[in-house]
Amino acid sequence: MDVTETDLPGVGKKHEVDIGGGQQLVVVTHNTGTRELYLKKDEDADSEKLLELSDRLARMVGTILEGAYFQPVESSHVETMLSEGTLLEWYAVESDSPLVGETLAGANVGQRTGVTVVAIQRDDNVIAGPSPDMQIEASDTLVVIGERENCEQFEKLLTGDL
Amino acid sequence: MADLLGIGVLFAAVAAATLVAVWLNKSVIPFYIIIGMLLSPSVAGQFSVAGYGLPVVESSEFVELGAELGIVFLLFFLGLEFNLDRLLESWERITRAGTIDLAINFGAGLMLGFALFRDPLAAFLTAGIVYISSSAIITKSLIDLGWIANDEADPMLGTLVFEDLFIAVYLTVAAALVTGGSDVAAAATSVGIALSFIVALLLLARYGTPWFERALQTTSNEFTVVRAVGITVLVSGFALAIGVSEAVAAFFVGMAFAPTTHTHKLESLLEPLRDTFAAVFFFWIGVETDPRLFAGVAGLVAAAIVVTTPTKILSGYLSGRAYELNPRRSMRVGLGMVTRGEFSLIIAAVALTGAGTSLSTALANAVYSFTVAYVLLMSILGTMLMQYSAPFEQFATARFGTE
Repeated sequence: MDVTETDLPGVGKKHEVDIGGGQQLVVVTHNTGTRELYLKKDEDADSEKLLELSDRLARMVGTILEGAYFQPVESSHVETMLSEGTLLEWYAVESDSPLVGETLAGANVGQRTGVTVVAIQRDDNVIAGPSPDMQIEASDTLVVIGERENCEQFEKLLTGDL
Repeated sequence: MADLLGIGVLFAAVAAATLVAVWLNKSVIPFYIIIGMLLSPSVAGQFSVAGYGLPVVESSEFVELGAELGIVFLLFFLGLEFNLDRLLESWERITRAGTIDLAINFGAGLMLGFALFRDPLAAFLTAGIVYISSSAIITKSLIDLGWIANDEADPMLGTLVFEDLFIAVYLTVAAALVTGGSDVAAAATSVGIALSFIVALLLLARYGTPWFERALQTTSNEFTVVRAVGITVLVSGFALAIGVSEAVAAFFVGMAFAPTTHTHKLESLLEPLRDTFAAVFFFWIGVETDPRLFAGVAGLVAAAIVVTTPTKILSGYLSGRAYELNPRRSMRVGLGMVTRGEFSLIIAAVALTGAGTSLSTALANAVYSFTVAYVLLMSILGTMLMQYSAPFEQFATARFGTE
């Protein structure tokens, strides 16, 4: 993926994303937070303005693009690549999961899967850095960090396949 | 006119100017100046309707101080957005484009100024006035035309950064020369004081970051704004008191804040303050201008336009080429850089302070009205050239090819 970042003194920043076929998506982020989206048909072409979003709208659209609301393909969880191979993942705890009612220490998550639970989202609260005696409840969302294979291992543990 | 009422008329007038600017889809700066001119004693003061005088805004102490604050905040922002590290990153290209721009336009300005005014100091001021492009107007036009997302934005913004840095040094010297009078020793002393003050500020900007960081450490927006204004205006005021350009001091204070974590917050919090006082500054420029003096400088302005439009197009074109742009885009760089604006007016304001001392009153007034007329016309011409760039681009492609 080829992204070029340029400073626009007095304006903000410009990001150019190569979207294939010689086309460039240009995002101008103003210091005010406004984002302008442009499409450059080819290297020589002038940028055509597609749309302009306020800071709030841009973040919302960005979240949708990221797949936080709806994942059409692949996984049932959100994943973010921190660096090559290391993932930050969100897992929903179903009510039939064997982990429901267990504490983090009791389930021995770290030993058995190699991931670290860095946060638990419960209703609208986010419990950051949960203590080992924290009990896992149905409909929690667990935020874990670990290597891809460890994350896969954890998913199995969570669904009772381990 | 009663004081508050007078200020009310002033702000209502600049508010009306914004309506006109939106309606015509043009930068608002020229309209601030024009409305200031219309309400000045030399225009509105000359007419009366049914025995009643028209509302006139005199250049009161408030207006003058407001204008000075406008200059301070304009330059403070320039410093705030001026990131030395980023400048150093693309130093080579920026200096190449900047040096071309400086050599051609400042050089032409010196010769032009001497030919027009027959005075070395006036020539030096003219060189600055015709050299410095308008960051505010050009940036706005870039955004309006969508060029901001194109490659030509880089050399234009890069050159503006170079110009801004140069103008900080230039203003120091110019202000010192103008206040120093014709006595060489006195002038040298004031330039010396100014430059050492600048060095002190530079050191403060370079090493004072932790202090500036702590100074604004608060969760209250109110305290952030008040503290930032307190520091900036105090330093600028002190600079002015010892005969150094307040604008330059504000520029360096801005630079000192730039590496802190508060930059972004400061930008959004102080922008309305800057815009309010900048409007007062442009309005004051208008109030101080007697349009009848335009007739006397019309020839000078015409000569300046004829000389400095092609020089900017040429230097911009060469800068674009230095950024490895094709002739079409390089031509756009040239057309875009033609606009002059706020900084030329700050130089004009400096010239006015020298009336009767380093410059004769007539000469200072001539330089001043020359600048106002020149800036008004160049802001129109520059934005028009950008808007109707197509034939120029075709010419460049036909003449110099597509590579």
